[in-house]
Amino acid sequence: MRLLLDRATEMKIGGNRPSGFGNVTIAADADGKITGWDSNHWGTDGIGGSTISVTQIPYVFDIDHRHRAASGIRTNCGPKAAWRAPNHPQLCAITDTAIDDLAAKLGMNSYDVFMKNLDLTATVGRPDVYAEEMKIGAKLIDWQAKWHPHGKGGGGSVKRGLGMALHRWGGSAHPASCKLRIHPDGGVESLQGTQDLGTGTRTIIAITVAETFGLNVEDIKVRIGSNQYPFARGSGGSTTVGGVSGPNRRAGLAALWKLSDLVAAKYDVDAESLKAKSGKFWSGDKAVCTWKQACALIGAMPIEFEGKGPEKDGLTSVTVGGVQMADVSVDTETGVVRIHKLVAVQDCGLILDELTARSQVLGGLIMGLAYAISEERIMDDKTGRFINADLENYKLPKIGDIGELVAHMYQPASEYDRGVVGLGEPPVISTGACIANAVANATGVRVPVLPMTPQRVLEALKGGAA
Amino acid sequence: MRAFEYANPNTESEAVDLLQDHDGHTAVLAGGTDLVSLLKTEVLNVERVVDVKNIESMYGVQPDGDGVLIGALTTLEEALESPLMAEYRAVLDVIDETRAIQIQQMGTIGGDLCHLPNCWYFRNHYGLLGMDNGESLPQEGDNRYHAVFGNSGPAKFVSASRFAPGMIAFGAKVRVVGPEPDQEDFLPLEHFFIAPKTDTQGVTVLKPGQLMTHLWLPAAGRKRSATYEVLQLQGLDWPLAAAASCVEVYDNVVRDARIVMGHVAPTPWIADQAATAIIGKPINEETANMAADIAVADATPLSNNGYKVQLARTAVKRSLLKAVGKLEI
Repeated sequence: MRLLLDRATEMKIGGNRPSGFGNVTIAADADGKITGWDSNHWGTDGIGGSTISVTQIPYVFDIDHRHRAASGIRTNCGPKAAWRAPNHPQLCAITDTAIDDLAAKLGMNSYDVFMKNLDLTATVGRPDVYAEEMKIGAKLIDWQAKWHPHGKGGGGSVKRGLGMALHRWGGSAHPASCKLRIHPDGGVESLQGTQDLGTGTRTIIAITVAETFGLNVEDIKVRIGSNQYPFARGSGGSTTVGGVSGPNRRAGLAALWKLSDLVAAKYDVDAESLKAKSGKFWSGDKAVCTWKQACALIGAMPIEFEGKGPEKDGLTSVTVGGVQMADVSVDTETGVVRIHKLVAVQDCGLILDELTARSQVLGGLIMGLAYAISEERIMDDKTGRFINADLENYKLPKIGDIGELVAHMYQPASEYDRGVVGLGEPPVISTGACIANAVANATGVRVPVLPMTPQRVLEALKGGAA
Repeated sequence: MRAFEYANPNTESEAVDLLQDHDGHTAVLAGGTDLVSLLKTEVLNVERVVDVKNIESMYGVQPDGDGVLIGALTTLEEALESPLMAEYRAVLDVIDETRAIQIQQMGTIGGDLCHLPNCWYFRNHYGLLGMDNGESLPQEGDNRYHAVFGNSGPAKFVSASRFAPGMIAFGAKVRVVGPEPDQEDFLPLEHFFIAPKTDTQGVTVLKPGQLMTHLWLPAAGRKRSATYEVLQLQGLDWPLAAAASCVEVYDNVVRDARIVMGHVAPTPWIADQAATAIIGKPINEETANMAADIAVADATPLSNNGYKVQLARTAVKRSLLKAVGKLEI
């Protein structure tokens, strides 16, 4: 039996992102070096009575002198639920808009202020990576040519501006196991109780096994989504790719060694010298036998290998990050924000499949621009109802709202050496902050609440510079 | 969705007959882009749905005297493609801005004019006026999308029609048949809309047994027009405010003008004073701003929708400039 919520109910009781607000005081010296941070936060996660976690504020930047306080507000609304990178989009928006405002106050280029303070990201081990990613992002969005001081976005009613922000995420592999079954006819099955959220889990498993065996992706039968298969934790939270690829690689190598032993014995070659490639076993440059011939040596019954993970063998690791930049325009007579271009430079360790990795980043950008400009649960003060639980007033961006998206996968050799790290959540984190900073750059006014609806933009413009 | 009778007439008179029963608890099904959702969510409960799509006389755009006659079942796409509509920019602008191909292909001109409000209190089962225990929810609650004009009565929603401003600016008439057999009336489109005093009055003058079958637009002649809709999103989205301007310009001077705002009041809102003020003047940034200021001077925003006054002002200004090809943004 399956129970499914209808659309309105799903929207109402599926859970909510906690809100997070903050008053921030940020200090720097005349050169733009950040020296202190003081912030007071509030927000609600509904019935739970807390708000976003402020232990990670200021976000990514580890500022020596800091103070932060938070008040959670209990409301009679539904509980919080994980929404792609819980906490981080809010933390990033609060921190990186403050840094951007600081740059404006100092009359400095925002890019320079972020760059100048990258040493403060040392505790997450990323100054050099962020620096490289910023340089790539700046080139892709043409930052140096297009950037202008805040509020100098053009003479007409439509102002244009650039903004940037940066983020980090864990991305550790979750516990998972698999069973790899090799049939005497050469068929390969990979079985596990993982699930595909639409992110390409099947593809990742098939690629991992196919590469290990020197076969094509379509040669691997991937079976998932059943309790009959070996345990894997629930998908989500940027943990699945690392979770499933490690066990499959381990089981695959064990299977390959077993087959190599059989081939070595049969064809009188050194097992250590064997490699599986292009559907064959090779000893040096010499093709020893085909994959099918090797599998025929198994006997009448298939052989099975268990894979488990995560293990500390270097196949997976943690911590990814990225830099995002936005080019937007703001119609100061209507308050409408339009996205021209979003650039994401994202690292994620070893990339197993670039197409699906890029797809995660593009999807993150789209979800990010949604919460930046339009997507919002509106609770009616009068009735206490989630009043826009429909797809007309719960405003999601459409194709025309998205603009040009550039997903640059940062992948020098040093990233490959780190093994697989989860990528699903991080690309959504800094999108809101970088769009908010671009709006501030265009107009010279900080729109303090996301999404930046026409109403909020016009009210901010009316109030003058923040 | 509750059970209802489904009727499928072939002629206007059959439809009129079918719409007379059940004390008005009937609904006309045209493109169905909104009605079906209203029925499924039981915001609207009727005893009979009269599907008019088999009535051939209600289709198409054709010359008619000194103007064009548009069947109420004409889809947005058909109107866009009709050469007879080419001079009615204020109408075509709306089709362009509707953007969603599904709505352009299924949605009808008549359906748009009869569209029930998008007010979220109405759509959340608080009735057309959004009343709860005798209290007006739009007045007391979240009214960010509600009316900034004509909101002193119980109706605070905004008219959902996107075509009405442009058509009224052109002087459109609407053909209504029924309730008597062979009864046919042409009335100015601006008189078609009402701000209801009760939940059961509806948003048009149509009474049980009446059917809107056609729109008539006078010849465009020298009239130049445009509709400017303030849309938050580039895809399918309802305007936050809109305005249509229809002007006759001789020697760079406006001789006749009509300005109608949309999505700012329970009915399309005619800005006569603004139109009068621009007559005798050229249309430029300065005069368009002047007309826009006049158009919104009497706005009465609610607690949380003052920003819509600015949007309406911008829409008026930009529709004027757009009509004469001077809009640069």
